[in-house]
Amino acid sequence: MSTCKSAVRICTNPRQPSSLLPRIQCRHESTTRRHKKLLTVQQAPLYTPNRPEPTLIFNPPSSAPSAYHTPLKFLPQNDSRRALYASFLSTSTQAAHRTQTSPVTAPGTPLSTLSFLPPKPSAALPPAVRTPYEKKYHLTDVEIKEIQRLRTEDPVRWTRVRLAEKFGCSQFFVGLVAKNEAKAEKVSQEHERARSKWGTRRREARHERERRKELWGRDA
Amino acid sequence: MKRIRIPSCATPSLAPRAARRPLCPYATALQRSIAPHNHRIQARFQTTTAVENFGGEQIEIEALAEQTPNAPAAPRQSQIHGSIRPEELPSPHPSEAVRSVKLSALRARLSLPPRFPLQTLARTLVHPSADPDPNFNNASMSMLGANLLGYYTTEYLLCNYPRLPISVIFAAQNAYVGPRALAIIAREWGIEAAAEPGGEVDPGLLQFKRLKPGEGVPAILARQVPWKWNTTNTHRIVATDEFGSDNAPPSPHSLATTPVPMEEAAQSFVRALVGSLHLHLGAPLVKRFFKAHFLSRHLDISTMFNFRTPTRDLSRLCAREGFESPVARLISETGRLSRHPVFVVGVYSGKDKLGEGAGSSLDEARVRAAAAALKAWYLYRPVDVTLPSSMEGELDTSKWKPNMVDCGEVIV
Repeated sequence: MSTCKSAVRICTNPRQPSSLLPRIQCRHESTTRRHKKLLTVQQAPLYTPNRPEPTLIFNPPSSAPSAYHTPLKFLPQNDSRRALYASFLSTSTQAAHRTQTSPVTAPGTPLSTLSFLPPKPSAALPPAVRTPYEKKYHLTDVEIKEIQRLRTEDPVRWTRVRLAEKFGCSQFFVGLVAKNEAKAEKVSQEHERARSKWGTRRREARHERERRKELWGRDA
Repeated sequence: MKRIRIPSCATPSLAPRAARRPLCPYATALQRSIAPHNHRIQARFQTTTAVENFGGEQIEIEALAEQTPNAPAAPRQSQIHGSIRPEELPSPHPSEAVRSVKLSALRARLSLPPRFPLQTLARTLVHPSADPDPNFNNASMSMLGANLLGYYTTEYLLCNYPRLPISVIFAAQNAYVGPRALAIIAREWGIEAAAEPGGEVDPGLLQFKRLKPGEGVPAILARQVPWKWNTTNTHRIVATDEFGSDNAPPSPHSLATTPVPMEEAAQSFVRALVGSLHLHLGAPLVKRFFKAHFLSRHLDISTMFNFRTPTRDLSRLCAREGFESPVARLISETGRLSRHPVFVVGVYSGKDKLGEGAGSSLDEARVRAAAAALKAWYLYRPVDVTLPSSMEGELDTSKWKPNMVDCGEVIV
């Protein structure tokens, strides 16, 4: 029996779905001793070589990926690192599958959990930040003429947002085909008037925010 | 005939037209050893040094200096050295170089072999503003050294980072061998400047005419108005210096008698030293010297990028290279509803991750991830690199591997 337990177990809270069904039976850790035992930090993995001959030990601290590390996709076709990356990916996946234990072996898991191994790491990508979309290129000359007509006739009613919603294109495209300088001038004057009412603190805070935003593309 | 032929001393009437001083330090010794009783050469020195105004001969001297640029230490007015006080010379007499402790110490500190003459080392320390005579200042050698430094740095950057944008190459050049970097290198080598140049000061001190306190930078060194306002990258590459300036820098010869800042004089010394090393010791040693003193300085090129629209650039890049269009995906997050959230976003093209960035908002993390992906593209380093200069003079071309040439940066 191991004395050290993973810190993850302290944080994990097997939530029950709030439903009217009877609650599912679950393994609990109710005694003080068990909770105190949980606070012991997990042993660091052993990195000393188990062979007498000299070996390479590679155990870097966790950090942001280096910009000098070229991803596989950016390597030219004749680069020798392509084969190395591919072989590393296959061996690491195999090793991960070999050493993986079923989740039901750890306490705190609901009894209903299946004992299957999780799916392969490459199978599921993380969720997208914004919903990906395909460019449709569906607007014809007639519709573009219509967009321009609406935008010139009533720029207050037919803003870029409304036109984009109506025709199913991006706001950028609406601005591209139907530019209304007079309206843009009026809007920018309005913004300028609103900005002139700002106090020192707000103006400086906005200025700082813009300055920070410029730094996004500089030190990533 | 082993004797060095100087046509101008064929007739005594041509004597005033000859060079005021011999151009090679060993010329007189050579001449003496071969023709020890040639009094005409000695007489020529006496007569020519007496010529005060030699404006007509200036061109000839320069032309000769171009032919034998490794004229390190001319025995300047050697015959009448006793009669001229050192204070009257604009820069120290070359014969003083062997007696200077500072010069020997500098040569030893830089691990230069003893066959590199101290007289040349002394000449590299004389800026044209101290001594306008091109035979005794470092102008010609600093031009050669600037070209060598630019060549070796460009070659290193282009071969090792074939995808770098031209503006980053310019910035990296400036960081490796720019004027400020060279001035810092000279300071690290322990170069000290003389308060005022003159014949009586130690030849181991950097000699230049100082700017007076309160004076601005002279007009020739100040930033000039570009000759046209839409200066293109092509103009920067072709017409100006290797650092992408708008204007070509002033020629070292044109700085004679102009007061200059310390930085200008120090950089001209470092360049002149590289040039004179090339002339005296040959290219292989200069390459080693360059590697040891210039390339060994740490420069993180990944901090030199400044993307204004990284997401748009990255999608253009993926479209150009035929990859799937990039999609930002949320790898992990913490504290979304707190005051200090952290989001880690990766940019994926298909199933491959191109870059990863962390930020306190989803937009920030996304933009940073796109910038990281662009950097990963631009900072690609090939595994095998053969520098063109490493194959100079090699007859066996089997070791040569062609370097990668990229199709260029992303233009939106």
